[in-house]
Amino acid sequence: MFTKTKKWIGLIALVFAFGAVMAGCSGKGNGASGGDSSSSQQPSQSGESKGSEDKKADPVKLIWYTIGTPPSDLAKVNEEVNKYILPKINATVEMKLFDWGDYDQKMKIIIGSGEDYDIAFTASWANDYFANAKKGAFYELDALLEQQGKGIKEVLNPAFLEGTKVNGHNYGLPTNKELPQQRVFRFNKEMLDKHSLDISNVRTIDDLEPLLKAFKEKEPGIAPIPAKIAEFLPFDLPVTDLPFIGMPLNTQDYKLINVWDTPEAMAYLKTMHKFYQAGYLPKDVATQKDAGDYFKTGKWLVDVADSQPYADNLWSNDAGYKVVSVPMHDPIAFNWSVAGALQAINAKSKHPEKAMEFLNLLYTDAYLINLVDFGIENVHYKKTGEQSKDSIPDSGYGFPAFSVGNLMLTYLNTGDPEDKWEQFKQFNDSASNAPLLGFQVDTTNMTTELANLKNTKEATYNSLFSGTLDPETNLPKVNQKLKDNGLDKVVAEVQRQIDEWRAGQ
Amino acid sequence: MDSSPPGKLRDVHRLPAGWNGLMHLIAGGFAFVCVFPFLFVVIISLTEENALLLNGYQIFPEKWSLYAYSYIIRTGDQLLRSYGVTLFVTVVGTVLTVILTTLYAYALSRRNFKFRGFFAFFAFFTMLFGGGLVPTYIVVAQFLELKDTVWSLILPMAMSAFNILVLRTFFQTMIPDAIIESGKIDGAGEFKILFRLVVPISLPGIATIALFSTLGYWNDWFNALLYIDSNHLVPLQALMMRIYNNMQFMIQNSALLNSGQSREMIRSLPQETARMAMVVLATGPIVLAYPFFQRYFVQGLTIGAIKE
Repeated sequence: MFTKTKKWIGLIALVFAFGAVMAGCSGKGNGASGGDSSSSQQPSQSGESKGSEDKKADPVKLIWYTIGTPPSDLAKVNEEVNKYILPKINATVEMKLFDWGDYDQKMKIIIGSGEDYDIAFTASWANDYFANAKKGAFYELDALLEQQGKGIKEVLNPAFLEGTKVNGHNYGLPTNKELPQQRVFRFNKEMLDKHSLDISNVRTIDDLEPLLKAFKEKEPGIAPIPAKIAEFLPFDLPVTDLPFIGMPLNTQDYKLINVWDTPEAMAYLKTMHKFYQAGYLPKDVATQKDAGDYFKTGKWLVDVADSQPYADNLWSNDAGYKVVSVPMHDPIAFNWSVAGALQAINAKSKHPEKAMEFLNLLYTDAYLINLVDFGIENVHYKKTGEQSKDSIPDSGYGFPAFSVGNLMLTYLNTGDPEDKWEQFKQFNDSASNAPLLGFQVDTTNMTTELANLKNTKEATYNSLFSGTLDPETNLPKVNQKLKDNGLDKVVAEVQRQIDEWRAGQ
Repeated sequence: MDSSPPGKLRDVHRLPAGWNGLMHLIAGGFAFVCVFPFLFVVIISLTEENALLLNGYQIFPEKWSLYAYSYIIRTGDQLLRSYGVTLFVTVVGTVLTVILTTLYAYALSRRNFKFRGFFAFFAFFTMLFGGGLVPTYIVVAQFLELKDTVWSLILPMAMSAFNILVLRTFFQTMIPDAIIESGKIDGAGEFKILFRLVVPISLPGIATIALFSTLGYWNDWFNALLYIDSNHLVPLQALMMRIYNNMQFMIQNSALLNSGQSREMIRSLPQETARMAMVVLATGPIVLAYPFFQRYFVQGLTIGAIKE
């Protein structure tokens, strides 16, 4: 019996050792073959560029993962991009798009397995920028920014790079777009006009009530608020996914509190509950799986969105009817709004300098960024003026322009005001900073509590904040549950980190 | 039963009428509850889009329409492609799984196979310990270089320890040694014994494995999520999972993504009825697999090669 087990252990060990040796060999083999393939590609590529690159080194091939539904004409546009950048920076790029819902998971595996890539999209809401930067998955860009990335520094609002620093260093390049967050109530103008409703006095959720009431009487078949709307409570939330740990925006003493235990939250939830009971929201709103269908049909009155200058035009374009909005608050720069979209370079990239040169072009070269964002002229879009274009519908190319580069170099849509990008700059300059801008929480010491708290949140958040549950009876229960699950411990730990961060400033 | 005197003896296999009715009712009700959601999906897919948005889901919709299906056929290159990928993966994968599993399990079932214990343990070990997600990914994507090939959808699922053990046990209990001996006596080699004697009487067991793996391949989306980047290799379930994930994602990030750039995303999503029609199209063929395999199960019960 015993000798038998020993034999087994020996055998297993042998198998593992063999496997490890094989893996090691193949790793080297891969590296070599990778080198081979790139050099074997070289003749054909230099052939394309008519031998003008002969004096230079072999062109580098960059792999770029970014977010978005892969369009059918991606390969065509990719080819154009390569034709354009090869003479400029002696490199080509392979654009790989992963769909919105898949991106996060795919990047986790790619980063986790150490797969080869050079540039990747990252943000506070997908392929978590702060977490990845902290664990060293991304290349530190400080030096590169001074050399290959000079153009980027010139065009970016300094607050972007300042706000996305992790431990004092930059690991990602934010898209040059809107910097602060401004949450707005968005209205269906057609419905407003039809029932002559006036929105000029709306600023808070309570101001909506007369509108909703009047609307409900005239259109009993439509829920005026078509889906769960995002709340705006005046707090800065340092921990992702835990919207109850917050610091008041006008804080003096930088003390964290339980947001859900404040009169503001209670008042908001009461209003929502009142709305829900009055039938202003769909009955199944808490579990609803509607992903914007109402926007297509126009059967709605008001919802909530994050705004940017001239967003009304964009929304109206999307919807096919007029959409107007009123802001709930002045623009505020939060950590996560500053980190709304970044491109990072792989820490293990073999060509970080080339990657930076390519990214630099995306911030400084109008032709390239328009090519990446909108596709090929006269195939995917038509120019309608010096700085404006119309996209050709169903042309087979679409790219989320906000995810990369310098948005301010891109063509406007026909009908956009000429000063749109100017307004963006003003909007960015007008932002006030959230109290915790630049602070990143370190969650290593509290993973269990975080998981428990997150579960509690998942179980209650939708039904509370959609107004389905009565906050009077349920909110205290939820708060007790949060306490039971270690809220105080997490708050104390985050508070300690904040104090440290403040002392270091 | 016919020979029993009428009226004297009651049929011992028969429940009293009341109980019989009740049991039928319970079984029928249960069956209905199982089938109804799917029927409902079919109904929704046949509802007119606007009627759906106005009235929500209805069992008897106001207006019927085949629009969703015509929409898919008109615009769904991707869907048809994915259909093809799924079919290919399912057929090739099932055949491969059956061949590999049968060979492995048969060898293990033979008592005179010298390394039987080792190979049994070798398979069994993978049931207890797995490498985990990232190491598996490294092996498939980087070591075997299967990334973005159709084989990455087939090979990782081709061998399963569970299937091997099921089939081994089946061979051990259902194939008497006498049959193998009889083959030997008549001068058959090992392969002849396996393919001419063992396989034909093991069809029920093999059909079970085939059914498991058909379902497994047809419903698999996770391998595609891991390994497939190009659109032309995305199987059907992965395509639907993608749509579902995108919807989830949009619901979660609605405010964030409403800041102007959600256009591409909303456009990439099919309408509600089209989504349901996709579900119907994706489920349809696999339903047919059951009756096909059922044939072997029934046959299997009646097969008896030897009386001992």
